[in-house]
Amino acid sequence: MKIYGYLNMSRWGLLFCALLISINGQAELLPEEIQIHGFLTQDFFHSSDNNVNGLSDDGISPGRTEIGLNISYQAFDRLTFSAQGLYRRAGYVDKGSVRLDYGLADLNLFNYQNGHIGIRGGRIKIPFGLYNETRDVAFTNPTILLPQGVYFDRSRSLFTSADGGSLYVQHRTDWGDFSFKFNYGLALGNNEEIMATILSPDAKGEFKANPAIATQIMYDLNGGEYVFAVSYLDLKLKYHSADNEVFSSGYTTIRPLLFSAQYNGEKLGLAAEYLYRWNHSKNYDAIPDNRSITESWFIQGSYRFISQLQGIVRYETLSLTIDDRSGNYAVAFGLPKHIAYSKDWMLGLRWDITSSLMMRTEYHRIHGTAWLAQADNQDRSKTRENWNLYALQVSYRF
Amino acid sequence: MTLLTLLPKFFIVAFSKKLLLGFLLYAVLVPVAFSIDIIVNTSVPIQRNSLNKTRAIFAQQLNYWSNGEKTRVFIFKDDHPLHKQFTKNKLNMFPHQLRRVWDRMVFSGTGQAPDLVETEEEMLEKIANTKNAIGYLTKGSGYENIRLFEYE
Repeated sequence: MKIYGYLNMSRWGLLFCALLISINGQAELLPEEIQIHGFLTQDFFHSSDNNVNGLSDDGISPGRTEIGLNISYQAFDRLTFSAQGLYRRAGYVDKGSVRLDYGLADLNLFNYQNGHIGIRGGRIKIPFGLYNETRDVAFTNPTILLPQGVYFDRSRSLFTSADGGSLYVQHRTDWGDFSFKFNYGLALGNNEEIMATILSPDAKGEFKANPAIATQIMYDLNGGEYVFAVSYLDLKLKYHSADNEVFSSGYTTIRPLLFSAQYNGEKLGLAAEYLYRWNHSKNYDAIPDNRSITESWFIQGSYRFISQLQGIVRYETLSLTIDDRSGNYAVAFGLPKHIAYSKDWMLGLRWDITSSLMMRTEYHRIHGTAWLAQADNQDRSKTRENWNLYALQVSYRF
Repeated sequence: MTLLTLLPKFFIVAFSKKLLLGFLLYAVLVPVAFSIDIIVNTSVPIQRNSLNKTRAIFAQQLNYWSNGEKTRVFIFKDDHPLHKQFTKNKLNMFPHQLRRVWDRMVFSGTGQAPDLVETEEEMLEKIANTKNAIGYLTKGSGYENIRLFEYE
């Protein structure tokens, strides 16, 4: 039993899957103002030590499933409605749930010779770096696991989407195009991973997010051959402590600043991102008030051998606190020192069998355990510093 | 040039310089003969276009014609030879670059993808009968309700 973890998908997952297939069959009958798209991804993980998305340690975990279905309706020339439902399960972090990933109205306000301005309202994806807005869509990601130092999977609920509004501007010039997004909204704040990360796995209260600012400026040249972006998020989480617990109702602010660069050539692709994140925790009593800086960066190169076959290599590094790169503080708290950092070499191969069916595999050699999810690794003293991770993915889209 | 290198040496020597020049000219002109035309429905207003603007139209980043009406973009599949030729020769891009832009919009609710057509006949039919439509073909002139789209 241990080897396969839990394979049983919830009723929601199956229902979603059936809906996706039946709608895909009838896509041609839709009026032209309506577009429907979707995806279905299944991942498998195996690791030499430590668990990733379920019981991957010395076994094979079919630990992550992602099914999405979206609709976009062009109601008027300048007004579009769109929504996406997402079923996701990921190891013990998310045992399977359906969620409205985004649901928004998009109003084009003003068009001029070289650009446009518009607003969006509703549940909106958070622009952050090169991959965040479509982070659950395998086809748009470079690898099965996104660089975890920048795109943490365990605290993803803070970064996926927020309920609020957005202003966007796009401006074209002869020397490149600029796009700017400014979002203000309420992100999903609470889950056990976030509590475990900020406080302790024993915390019993609840985190609530304040409205957050997410903004991004992007510059691209030659229709996206070169892309440069700066993203910034300002997020505040308030803790509501439970009765009889050691933590009082404090708060935490998280302010990541992310620089991104990408080159998309005919065969060669390059990408690099650098994250600098200010963290501040206050008034929890049981843990001292503290300020820290998290740093992470990666550099990634891909090569298209033929149009269906792509190889990829990446190096990624993460320090949870730059004042403690070697993990001495962690040891003082009774945790293994390697929880403070991770360095990850990744090698992968992607095969686009058809334009809507894709398969890929990747190998990671990892030093450190900084991004491991608590739910998958309850006892940190059992985690190992040097480990291997293998992953396989099958994804379908339409 | 690659064809030339394949020819045995004696064969090249046997040809006069004039013939060789003729062959080179032929090699240069052939791709032009297979060039692709960008076509629009005649309802599309005549406007000044640049390569940059044309790219933005097909990337679905520029969604309105100069008269304020919404563009309707038609394309072939990513791996269709015509689509590959078109993105390379007309937009100076690669199919995967366009795909990246469309996918980002489609799966984040910030835009729609262009409409797919399967055959050249279907492309002709769509462009001729859809207001504000734009697409591409191997030869786009001489059809009713269709005009060539030019850019500088």
